[in-house]
Amino acid sequence: MISRTNYTTQQSPHFEILSENQKERIFNGMMRTLQYTGAHVHHEGARELFKKAGCKIDGITVYFPPELIQQALASAPVVTEIFPWDGDDSKKITIEKKRSYFGPGPTPPNFIDTDTLERRKYLRKDASLVARVCDALPNMGYVQSLGSISDVTNGLADVYEFADMVRNTTTPIMSWSFDRNGCRDIHHMGIAMAGSEEAFRHKPNYVFYGEPISPLVSDFHAIDKCMYCAEHRIPQVYSPCAIGGGTVPASHAGQLVVALSESMVGVIASQLINPGTCVIIGGVQSILDMRCSIYSYGAPELSLLSAALTEMVHYCNLPMYSTAGCTDTKKMDMQSAMEASLSINAAMMSGANFVHDCGYTESGLTGDIFQTVMDDELIGMARIIEQGVEVNEDTLAVDVIHNTGPGGHYLYEDHTMEHFRNHWMPTLMDRNSYEAWEEQGRKTMKDRVIEKTRDLIENHEGPINKVPAKANEEIEKILEQAEERIAQTA
Amino acid sequence: MLTLKELLITYNHKYNSIMSTYLSNISETLISGKGDELKKLIESAVNDGANPGEILNQGLLPGMDAVGQKWKDGDMFMPEVLRSAKAMSNSMDYLRPMLKEGDMGNAGTMVIGTVAGDLHDIGKDLAAMMFEGAGYKVINLGIDQPGESFVNAVKEHQPNILGMSALLTTTMPRMGEVINSLKEAGIRDQVTVIIGGAPVTEEYAGEIGADLYAPNAGSAVEITNEFLQQAQ
Ligand code: B1M
Repeated sequence: MISRTNYTTQQSPHFEILSENQKERIFNGMMRTLQYTGAHVHHEGARELFKKAGCKIDGITVYFPPELIQQALASAPVVTEIFPWDGDDSKKITIEKKRSYFGPGPTPPNFIDTDTLERRKYLRKDASLVARVCDALPNMGYVQSLGSISDVTNGLADVYEFADMVRNTTTPIMSWSFDRNGCRDIHHMGIAMAGSEEAFRHKPNYVFYGEPISPLVSDFHAIDKCMYCAEHRIPQVYSPCAIGGGTVPASHAGQLVVALSESMVGVIASQLINPGTCVIIGGVQSILDMRCSIYSYGAPELSLLSAALTEMVHYCNLPMYSTAGCTDTKKMDMQSAMEASLSINAAMMSGANFVHDCGYTESGLTGDIFQTVMDDELIGMARIIEQGVEVNEDTLAVDVIHNTGPGGHYLYEDHTMEHFRNHWMPTLMDRNSYEAWEEQGRKTMKDRVIEKTRDLIENHEGPINKVPAKANEEIEKILEQAEERIAQTA
Repeated sequence: MLTLKELLITYNHKYNSIMSTYLSNISETLISGKGDELKKLIESAVNDGANPGEILNQGLLPGMDAVGQKWKDGDMFMPEVLRSAKAMSNSMDYLRPMLKEGDMGNAGTMVIGTVAGDLHDIGKDLAAMMFEGAGYKVINLGIDQPGESFVNAVKEHQPNILGMSALLTTTMPRMGEVINSLKEAGIRDQVTVIIGGAPVTEEYAGEIGADLYAPNAGSAVEITNEFLQQAQ
């Protein structure tokens, strides 16, 4: 074999939106904003923490000196791993640059009923269903619930969701909570699944998701949860839903500056509390549609902004929580497929680490597991493009070409046997002949998506029967205690 | 030599043509959202003896109607509409003390806020600005407002409209609680209650005893005005 200098076997064709100079300027914009405009932090404890670290404080406004930001960025980890609770490392997540994991999104109020296909409130049973279906989907690298449970005690949707989901999938979950209590309950459930606190610390089995408020506000619960996660070394996301033209500037660069700045507050807090704890930033980055006044989940700007922010976040050496696979449509249709295809491909090409909202419809107001299933196929396709072209002696196949010569074919070649399975195989896309398509019932993409989803619902049991009895017991106990807590405060 | 009568007619003609130029300029400046220019224009119209009621009814309100129509037709976008609304509301602040009983346009007062536990504010702010634009005096309480803050504001400002926004299914019940508190305080009948926010529905508004529901900020004003007209 010929050896080459700087030999790369596989070069992923990630795209870049920003030049080095542009990145620097956006980064400096963030530094200036945090230093001179500051951010509101509605949490005395957090302000105290920042003050001790050298921040200027004026009321609830905190001004962050550049060296503190640099210091936080330097202490954030380069790699973090999230482990499936059943020990099967095939679903392990490695958070490092240019490795993308896709998943659904959190908390819309509505859900598309899988029997009636109509929109209704999200129910407790939906959380297990989403977990189970995603458990079977090869391209869902992590799981979120696609809804907020409406039929449990008010204030416990977060805790029930995790309790049900974690037992119905081994794919790592990204959870959320209303406040520190829920955050703690979920943590304890994670520990129950890991076996012990020590085991959880060693091998965290979920990621926590929290949000600052654009522009430049960390409300009490957001930063309080962030601090809890940092204290316990729970990998966490701290990222806003920035609305271009609404809560952040309408110019994209301005949006990036604000989005980065408000997330950085969580980065700094987490690193001050526990240097080296994993913190992921990014969020939903899109625009306010100035005609319909909705926050658009299908806009091309969502893809552009998310890709640009991915570059900025990676420039800061942090992992990126991006957005794709979502749509503004109300029902699965051509628009939902078009919007999801574009955004999934862009997110893939940007190399974002976590890409959420696969299955968000109606601009984030309705979760649709059918959309998630369709997205799974799109992610598979995009992944092929992202893998690029492998060039080496074997793949160049000059010898095989020579042996076959002009006018031959490759169907009998060993080389073909070795390589053809690398071609992507559709599970939903139709490539039948007209006759075969007709014979199979003239099914459209929508028919096939419904069929596949319902088949998974019916036949994929998930890991529910593998959950250790002790973990089950502990989880039930945590739920009971949570109920008591709410009853007491009521 | 002109007779006195002839002189008066000429003067009236002149006055009328100056006034009608003022009024159409006021409309147009309002539509283009140029607040500073509008202010100057209205001031000089008043100085030239224009009737404040006329400025409102024949200049500003037709302007805002046009804005509403253009917005519906997709010829104007949210930030443009909001500029016009702001210009309208500033003009109203200036004109209000000069308006007489019968002059329309003093649409009323609105108290608006996002309910307790809820930090979403942009939809609520849009609604507030649209009401301002329609001539309402708006008291915007902000986000995360406890029930008593709504009740106290109703007592203090005596609004005819109370608007509440909730973006979370978990905070929606707070709106019903505010309505109950208004009842307990014996002031429920003083205000028309309108609610909105992404997860809120017309049905829900009915359930909790709100008078009105609006799916978006633009329609909120229309729905309210229609309701008030019918009530009269
Ligand atoms: C009085 O008369 C009226 C009349 C009409 C009225 C009206 C009043 N008020 C509104 N309208 C109407 O007119 C406007 C248009 O003309 C419309 O207003 P909207 O406000 O709906 O529309 C705005 C113009 C644009 N839309 C928005 O501004 C909301 C967009 C979404 C993405 C959203 C955002 C941006 C935010 N969020 Co939140 N957020 C979501 C939203 C999803 C969505 N698609 O709605 C929603 C509402 N959030 C949700 C959640 C869960 C949460 N959020 C949270 C936080 C936030 C941010 C702070 C990050 C941010 C708000 C920033 C801000 N400055 O307001 C958290 C709660 C914080 C809290 N205590 O309030 C948190 C709990 C998330 C977390 N894990 O922490 C979900 C609600 C789920 C549910 N079951 O209710 C949600 C649907 C997102 C989702 N898909 O999961 C109409 O509703």
